Amino acid sequence: MLLDQDLAQKVIGEALKRGGDFAEIYAERSRSNTLSLEDSRIERSATGLDAGASIRVTRGRAISFVSTDSLEEGSLLEAARLAGDGLAGGGVVMSQLSLIEHPSPHIIEVAPVKVAALDKAAMLLAADEAARGAGSEIVQVSVSFSDDVSEIMIANSEGTLAGEERTRVRLSARAVGSREGIIQTGSDSMGAHRGMELFRDRKPEDVGLVAAQKALTMLDSKPSPSGKMTVIMHRGFGGVLFHEACGHGLEADSIEKGASVFAGRIGEQVASSLVTLVDDGSIPGEWGSNAFDDEGVPTQRTLLIEEGRLAGFMYDGLRARNLGAVSTGNGRRQSFRHPPIPRMTNTFIIAGTSKPEEIIAATRHGFYAKTLSGGQVEPASGDFVFGVSEGYLIENGRVTSPLRGATLIGNGLTALNNIDMVADDFEMHIGVCGKDGQGVPAGSGQPTLRMLDMTVGGTEV
Amino acid sequence: MLEIARKALDHAAATGADQAEAFANNTRSTRIRVYRQEVEELASSTGSGVGIRVFRGDTAGFAYTSDLSDSALAATARAASDNAAINAGDRFMGLPRPSESFPELDLYSEKLGATPLAGKIELVKKLEKTALDRDSRISQVDSATYAEGEGEVGIANSLGFSRQFKENTCYAFLQAIAEADGQMQTGMSFTTGRDPDQLEAAACGREAADRALALLGGAQCESMNCAVVMDPFVASSLIGVIGSVLTGESVQKKRSMFAGLVGQQVANGIFTLTDDGIHPDGLASAPFDGEGVPMGETALIKGGVLQGYLYDTYTARKDGCESTGNGVRGSYRSQPHVGATNLRLLGGATPPVEMIASVDKGFYVMEVSGIHSGANPVSGDFSVGASGLLIRGGQLAEPVREVVIAGNLMTILKNINMVGDDKRWVPFGGSIQAPSLLIGEMTVSGK
Repeated sequence: MLLDQDLAQKVIGEALKRGGDFAEIYAERSRSNTLSLEDSRIERSATGLDAGASIRVTRGRAISFVSTDSLEEGSLLEAARLAGDGLAGGGVVMSQLSLIEHPSPHIIEVAPVKVAALDKAAMLLAADEAARGAGSEIVQVSVSFSDDVSEIMIANSEGTLAGEERTRVRLSARAVGSREGIIQTGSDSMGAHRGMELFRDRKPEDVGLVAAQKALTMLDSKPSPSGKMTVIMHRGFGGVLFHEACGHGLEADSIEKGASVFAGRIGEQVASSLVTLVDDGSIPGEWGSNAFDDEGVPTQRTLLIEEGRLAGFMYDGLRARNLGAVSTGNGRRQSFRHPPIPRMTNTFIIAGTSKPEEIIAATRHGFYAKTLSGGQVEPASGDFVFGVSEGYLIENGRVTSPLRGATLIGNGLTALNNIDMVADDFEMHIGVCGKDGQGVPAGSGQPTLRMLDMTVGGTEV
Repeated sequence: MLEIARKALDHAAATGADQAEAFANNTRSTRIRVYRQEVEELASSTGSGVGIRVFRGDTAGFAYTSDLSDSALAATARAASDNAAINAGDRFMGLPRPSESFPELDLYSEKLGATPLAGKIELVKKLEKTALDRDSRISQVDSATYAEGEGEVGIANSLGFSRQFKENTCYAFLQAIAEADGQMQTGMSFTTGRDPDQLEAAACGREAADRALALLGGAQCESMNCAVVMDPFVASSLIGVIGSVLTGESVQKKRSMFAGLVGQQVANGIFTLTDDGIHPDGLASAPFDGEGVPMGETALIKGGVLQGYLYDTYTARKDGCESTGNGVRGSYRSQPHVGATNLRLLGGATPPVEMIASVDKGFYVMEVSGIHSGANPVSGDFSVGASGLLIRGGQLAEPVREVVIAGNLMTILKNINMVGDDKRWVPFGGSIQAPSLLIGEMTVSGK
């Protein structure tokens, strides 16, 4: 354990001296390495050491939170006093800490520290070479790699004592293609809650190559048309859309405030009956997985929408207490500097029964969204907008010309209801989700699926 | 902080570095959130650490630590030195020559720390209450927040630079939610300053409510090509995108649509953009940048003509010019990189009402979304989600949502036909001072 058990007990006791009905200490020590390549050379490499802890005291719905860049006893007790001062009144007796035995299901075969920095650099160079080899029109390639190993420990006044070591590696590539004044970019990435053995399954070269091929394809593109169209979302990337436009509305903090279109609708049909949406932070090795959430609750699989019916929400401890529910292991934080909030882990629509080819063949005129470049959602209404970095026209049941400059715009609930075909080709996709100024690793996924009546915004009216 | 920086510098020198630099900073921040007139969250944090750059021959390596013990500093200096061995480099790598003079700036208000917590809590309550009281259709206020931060930065390097400064800032913001006929719309506003007395809570609360109310009942409009008026919030997003590719780095790496265009007309003649690192109201102002180079004002576009780019030490040497003091650094955890400080769109004489009056059929944009994915400053493609109000016969008309506005950034810049007299600071996505803008024609995609 990162901190001595007696010290953790003492700090929580100190935090509760002035009242409060719950207190917690979260301690973390992490070491990270990042490498980045551009112009076919390693331009930056950095090593970081972060250590610190935060104390959180809650009373009813109120939170008092103090963080410090230190794991020294004196600083921790001072932080505990400060956090306790933030909330007067109330008061509970602290329970004896007892360790939650829950071994991490995430097996790390090759710890990042065991791979020499020069060998990591070689991976970036290999990805660059593969991308440049894809075609002479590739004029720039950037590749970045990061590894992060953090040891965390959580103890709270309810007696929870939990800890784990988390290892994540990630590699991403971006290629720029240029032809007669037209510039297009393509990108791809891979990452997991695993060690360097990840790159045995898929080589960095492949990431570079895929990024370059996307850029080259888009050089052949023509400006996208605008208007209402049938949209087929290619497997993997589209999960981000449902993460943003539906997932956030299923997190318990927006439910608590009634600032979600899903509030008070458990059991109701909110989506097409073809849609089953799940959040699962326990999948071994997956990017958004951990053994515990950041409040010491083991991660689990949570059914959010089952065959179109609203089945559940994602809770952290505080919102679960406020709403009379049980934490679903979704209390997450960026680091010890941030309080936990309800967050998605790996969120996805499960596979259906159609074949992707059938879906395309069944579409006379439509838009095929292969890669999304990111987007934004208005949380209250679920209105979203997503850029399409790789899109195609569908004509008479066939994927034809690539289209550039397209944006998908719509509403989360409407999109869920307009899904009329779901394929059997499920895929996950990695990302970093931002909420309340905190970024956490989040996976999202979906099989190829079809949505009717989606607005495509392009540059041609 | 300077003491820690100097200590770290000694460790870096001990690795046999040719040149070395230590950047140390500490921060103390507090955030108060109020919901339904009760304090919902009180958060504070303190942090400090040091980032070390070690230069060996033509290469540089970086490492940072939040542990300031002697052993951690020594290990961090070694890690930086090891990283220098992995990196490729060239003859442009190195520290800036220390400057003799630095701008005198007043970046610290004693009043911030002297204001009791209770006063700050009252301010957030007022922020929320003003919005709630504005109209019965304001159902709630999400994240009524006050936040403050103060910190010290100290840099020491092996060429003899050794200086520090301290600064503080505070801001408040909220999102008001308006509801009617089963529809929800949010409206955001903020207020910034160096102490709570400079914050205008009531005006901020009213504005958030008014913005949410204005958009209530919005629906998609027909697709069309028309004139677009951007309010200052939206204009600042556009300026942010433009500013991100007016850097020496983006040009050198062929990531900028402005490459090779210095001296040429890139925007309408009424468009003048500057990066001002020493403006008294700019929250990014500082006496020196993350490498110890004095900050100042750099003209970027003047009368529509591209004047030049922003530089840090490395990119300036590569182009054979001087750093413009734009070696930006967020904290000890990051290395310097070229970036804008306070971007300001100057001039602007037209009141927004006159802009609107000049448009027969158009779109008044109050919110854009998806700017990071929808704006591509390499290719110039620009396509983002938007909501706002229709303009009909020179008057604001019904609300519009779920549409996309699109065009090419270069064309948009040339089509900026009017610049408003209503410029204000917008602190999101950088520190930007922008007015309303009238763009002659853009594509609006709706039904």
